[in-house]
Amino acid sequence: MKSSRRWSNIIKPALAVSSLITVAGCAKDAPQDTWQPAGPNAKVIDDLQRPIFYIAGIVGVIVFAAVGWAIFRFRDRGQAMPEQTHGKPALEITLTVIPVLILIGVGVPTVGTIFDLAKTDDTEMTINVTGQQWWWEYDYPAVGDNAEVYGISDPIVTSGQLVIPEDTKVLLRVTSRDVIHSYWIPKLNGKKDSVPGRVHLLRMEGSEPGIYAGQCTEFCGLSHAYMRMEAVVLSKADYATWVANQLEVYSSPSADNVLAVEGEKLFLQQCARCHQVNGLLNADGSPNVAAPDQYMVSGAAPNLTNLMTRNTFAGASWDLLTPECRDDVWNATPAEFGEKYLAGVSEDCLNQKDLREWLRNAPEKKPMYADPTKLTETGGKYRGMPALGLTEDQISALVAYLLELK
Amino acid sequence: MITTGSKFLYGLGSATSIAAILWFIANDGGSIGVVSLAFLAVALFFMGAIASFVRDGHVLSTDTDAHASSNAAQRNVGRSWFPVGTAFSAGMVAIGLVSSPGIFKVGICLLFAMLGQWLIKNWSDRASSDVAYNEKVRAWVVHPLEIPVGGAIILAIIVLSFSRIMLSLSKESGLIVFSVMAALVLTFGSMVSVRRGANRRVIGAVAGVVLVALSGTGIAFALDGERHELVEAAAEDHFAHRACGEEAEETDEDAARSVSAKSSVAATVVLRDGRLFAEMDGWNGELTSITLQRSNPSTILFVNEDDHEHRMVVEYGKIVEDLGGGVSKDTVLEACTSLITKGGTQAVSIVIPKPSFASEEPYSITVPGVEGASIEIQVP
Repeated sequence: MKSSRRWSNIIKPALAVSSLITVAGCAKDAPQDTWQPAGPNAKVIDDLQRPIFYIAGIVGVIVFAAVGWAIFRFRDRGQAMPEQTHGKPALEITLTVIPVLILIGVGVPTVGTIFDLAKTDDTEMTINVTGQQWWWEYDYPAVGDNAEVYGISDPIVTSGQLVIPEDTKVLLRVTSRDVIHSYWIPKLNGKKDSVPGRVHLLRMEGSEPGIYAGQCTEFCGLSHAYMRMEAVVLSKADYATWVANQLEVYSSPSADNVLAVEGEKLFLQQCARCHQVNGLLNADGSPNVAAPDQYMVSGAAPNLTNLMTRNTFAGASWDLLTPECRDDVWNATPAEFGEKYLAGVSEDCLNQKDLREWLRNAPEKKPMYADPTKLTETGGKYRGMPALGLTEDQISALVAYLLELK
Repeated sequence: MITTGSKFLYGLGSATSIAAILWFIANDGGSIGVVSLAFLAVALFFMGAIASFVRDGHVLSTDTDAHASSNAAQRNVGRSWFPVGTAFSAGMVAIGLVSSPGIFKVGICLLFAMLGQWLIKNWSDRASSDVAYNEKVRAWVVHPLEIPVGGAIILAIIVLSFSRIMLSLSKESGLIVFSVMAALVLTFGSMVSVRRGANRRVIGAVAGVVLVALSGTGIAFALDGERHELVEAAAEDHFAHRACGEEAEETDEDAARSVSAKSSVAATVVLRDGRLFAEMDGWNGELTSITLQRSNPSTILFVNEDDHEHRMVVEYGKIVEDLGGGVSKDTVLEACTSLITKGGTQAVSIVIPKPSFASEEPYSITVPGVEGASIEIQVP
């Protein structure tokens, strides 16, 4: 009686935990679910992993059942030690040949898939992806098909969100400015390490307009967990609109928007040392050129031109949209998605809370080794944005200015 | 009387004292070396004094007859070439002082070596009345220095001889000659290793003959001079980066993480039939405009498929330095390969800190001397 109660005490919690884990695997809205491919590359991987998972599952069940049966059937009941034998060639050969055949069955399609995913000769668009602590930069070269087919007449630089046209074979040239990171948008393709000094190629293709989440999968320092990314797939028409918007010439806030004008001045004083806004002019009329190489370990800071056309900031760690507006974009149907995404961030939809917190004290929100007194190892250079000591009025002015960057 | 053992220690102490003085002069009063050497000298003199007091431990200190009767006092030192070597070295030093610093430096080294050997030889010859033992103690003292230094000298002779031969032979002949030599060395080494009973004298003799032949050949080729194109290149100053100012010894010395940079190039630039174009992973076809990430170490490999020698020049803006008083100094940012012969390759690694729109002059890759050979670099 005592024994059965003890077993019951162990088995019940174990069953509960197992069930919880199993049920968690059935989540429908998991944005980084590898079992929900949304592009041909991820589909190729999915086509491989499903049969392998089933085979492994069946093998696992058989092995666990056999072991369980053996444990139960031959448990110690005080019987005599059975006869010990050695050498059953037929059985040993069989038990060797079966796994070999299974491994061949798994290996052949795996190698085929690897070669399929490594193809680059059918590339239609090329984008440079550069990782650094702790955000991703995307630059769209104005070369070849990028310029001739997709209208990228000048290089475009963004961060946080990779924007690509649907049903287009995009090739990412992935590298890093500081340490090793890893680029992964699970619904569109597998992982690819970004290594300083090396260029790794990763195919990316989305079959349906929408946003697809991912995150850095190589531990890269203090804020590794905050190094996220999103891939935005737009219809080709919407993509052309997006490109045209990115290439629009910068214009300063109108004089009516006093707060934003004040914010632009403040941006030039405080932010433009590291953050580039293409087209922004200094007080003397010369083009402003940021110098992040003088202040940052990686030598780069996110280019904030057209910031409000993105939905995220700070390495895609926080949304620029309020939760309601964000859900509206994320849950939009493919047909509606482009319009909603291209609307960008309006004043009503701006997530003021997180943005203001970020401007107030960035290292408090995202750990970044940004203590000015502890920079001797890096020669005085930061790994992330330091606290700028802004007043609330200055933050309001900056927010008003950033809202103009569309 | 100063005993044999103490004489050795006094000699070493004197040499160390001189070394301390020379160190002081040569290092402009540097204290650590002087203090160390001075303490060493004091220690040696102290041990010499103890050795004198105990008569090297061979006889009682109170035995005054031992000055004349002990074995150490009886034996004469053996014949030695070291006085001749010392005189020759002193001559080199004197000649070097008025002619060449190189000769002077070699003379100084030889002088110290000869004096040291002479000192040790005299000491070891009086160490005991047993000649074999004396030879053994000399070996104990000298071999730890003699063998590595001798090995290094032989290695230097081999390297120098090989380099003279390489510089004189044509590229094609050099490949054949050194392949054959490598095969011969491997064969000889294999034979020696598998034949356990090989006569050491025979092996030594063969090695000696090979060394003499090699150094002789090296001297002959050195006298014959370097091959034509090297002489011409040196005469025409081909190795100076005229387009880039003074040549850096390593073109990629500024590259961060240079090992990984070399293993994966951002772009391969090819000069073929008078056309200059780039190839990049991820781009199909020949490119005349490439995009490099800002502030990111990028390695560009130059492949010269032209018949003539060429170098690649990468220009990526300039730095304006404010010298004060309204005066500024422009430093052009550029990187160059050396002159590359047909079929040759060389990589340069660069980090471009500013976007291309910030530069008055477009960033570019060119090959001086080839009309229209230019590739635009865009840095967003």
